[in-house]
Amino acid sequence: MTSLLSIHDLHVSFDTPRGLLQAVRGVDLEVPAGTSVGIVGESGSGKTVLSRAAMGLLQGKNVQRTGTVVFDGKELTALPPDEVRNEFGTGMAMIFQDPMTALNPVRRIGSQISEGLRVRLGLSRADAMKRSAELLALVRIPDPQGMLRKFPNQLSGGMRQRVMIAIAIACNPKLLFADEPTTALDVTVQAQILELLSELRAELGMSMVLVTHDLGVVANHTDIVTVMYAGLVVEQAPTRRLFANMKMPYTEALMKSIPRLDQPSGGRMPMIAGRLPDPTAPEPGCPFAPRCPYVVDKCRSSVPPLVSDGDGHSYRCWLPLGGGI
Amino acid sequence: MRKALARLDLFTKVCAGWLSIVVLLAIVGPYLPFTDPRESDIEAMGVGMFSKGHFLGTDSNGYDLLSNVITGTRLSILIAVVSVGVGGLIGSAIGILSAYRRGKFDYIVSLVFNILLSIPNLVLGLALVAILATSADPNEPVSSNRRVFVILISLTIVIIPILGRIARGATLTWTNREFVTAARSMGMRDREIIMKHIVPNVLPSIYAVGFLAVGVVIVAEGSLSLLGVGITDGISWGSMIARVAGEFTYAPHSMYVPVTALALTVIACNQVGDFLRSQLDKREGKI
Repeated sequence: MTSLLSIHDLHVSFDTPRGLLQAVRGVDLEVPAGTSVGIVGESGSGKTVLSRAAMGLLQGKNVQRTGTVVFDGKELTALPPDEVRNEFGTGMAMIFQDPMTALNPVRRIGSQISEGLRVRLGLSRADAMKRSAELLALVRIPDPQGMLRKFPNQLSGGMRQRVMIAIAIACNPKLLFADEPTTALDVTVQAQILELLSELRAELGMSMVLVTHDLGVVANHTDIVTVMYAGLVVEQAPTRRLFANMKMPYTEALMKSIPRLDQPSGGRMPMIAGRLPDPTAPEPGCPFAPRCPYVVDKCRSSVPPLVSDGDGHSYRCWLPLGGGI
Repeated sequence: MRKALARLDLFTKVCAGWLSIVVLLAIVGPYLPFTDPRESDIEAMGVGMFSKGHFLGTDSNGYDLLSNVITGTRLSILIAVVSVGVGGLIGSAIGILSAYRRGKFDYIVSLVFNILLSIPNLVLGLALVAILATSADPNEPVSSNRRVFVILISLTIVIIPILGRIARGATLTWTNREFVTAARSMGMRDREIIMKHIVPNVLPSIYAVGFLAVGVVIVAEGSLSLLGVGITDGISWGSMIARVAGEFTYAPHSMYVPVTALALTVIACNQVGDFLRSQLDKREGKI
């Protein structure tokens, strides 16, 4: 199976007043064509930075990026910005976390959707508007014609996220980055949006990278899961296999921290004690060691390598749950 | 638009009305059948308001105040609109670009803006006029047109950092919004992002401050004339004030007329600017 997107040894760091902040520390990621890959981790684990760095959206003098990103046979990290831009919209597109800020407040929905169509596909104004209405219908918005003339502040959060999706899929991208697409929405709308994304993916044959902190979301909507912690990939496996047989204590801790309805009420919320290590001063050893219930001396002295069991399941742990290879 | 008009309160309506009259007079004023503003009526020097043939009276030299204030509208408004228009355009272009690009260019632009802003408007205007409008030969006076032109340029330079800094500040907040990143992720170029995403959001604050700046410029033109470096031989509100300043004791009404016109126009500009901003801000919406 060929990969649509393949990221190799990607490092991203930011020059901050407190020192070099290493947000992503050598990540390898493959997105095979037609699949949906989930990136999971808690806040600050580097998942958003990873997706933005993959598209080359991080700008500024204080950003340092090394490693290679190959998309659709082209090595983006070696291309000049103008040619990378040619891939945007038609090759890859992104949905953002907060639909409240990701739409321009002073422009009508219609002109915001048709913008991409006109710039990237060279459609005329009338054609772009017609296509925009079709896209709005595609993301299940009632009365697409009326919606074209509205301003973002007249829409609810769920509707805005649908508009964001319509903008992102406007030019038929091959790969869609969804950066926490449902975090800013309430739970019932979350389910609808995720369902919509899965349906669109099937209809349009898109691949998707779904960035989220929610293992429940990943379970239902991805084929492969990558768990990130402190800028490192700590476990990677096909979704079913991961949930059946997790190897990394961090993944297990994430699982356990999901509140469950069948727990007695009034008890303490399950959580992972401690917090993420300081990204400006990484310590030797496994980054999860200070919080890990199974920690041994070896964990504190050297970082475990990412090992694979030869069956698509790889993990970064000296003492994998259920025994090693 | 109709809804916006319905929301106008009485004071804003009066202000907008006053501004329309002023602009109308600036355009057609000199063609209206009033007394020649340069013609002195020796029969009626310094007569009060509502005298026969002189509705607003005359100054102590017998010049009709009504026709002077109407003719003066043209130059005063021309100077205000052109310097704010040109200065605002240049200033906001520089401000938006520097905030969008950041880096060294932004550092230098901010530095220059701050230096210009630290000099009081009037002192800066005075210095520029003094430098630009002095002829090499002291016996040959600077022509009236050149003076107007120099004042225009000076006031434009005064306006550039005022609106430039407003545009820069507004751009800084909008450039960090996610829709700019979203536009970039769709493959839009910087030029398109600035024109379609930044400018429409920055415009409301520029409008509001632009109207305030019109008031500032009208006052500055008056003050420059009062100090004797403004338009000395043309007819503007400022030059009227300058001309009658010495006769305040004998014919105070000759001072009241141009000062009232000036004050009302400045107040109206501020009010209309405020109203425009509040209207344009509403689209941001609050949930």
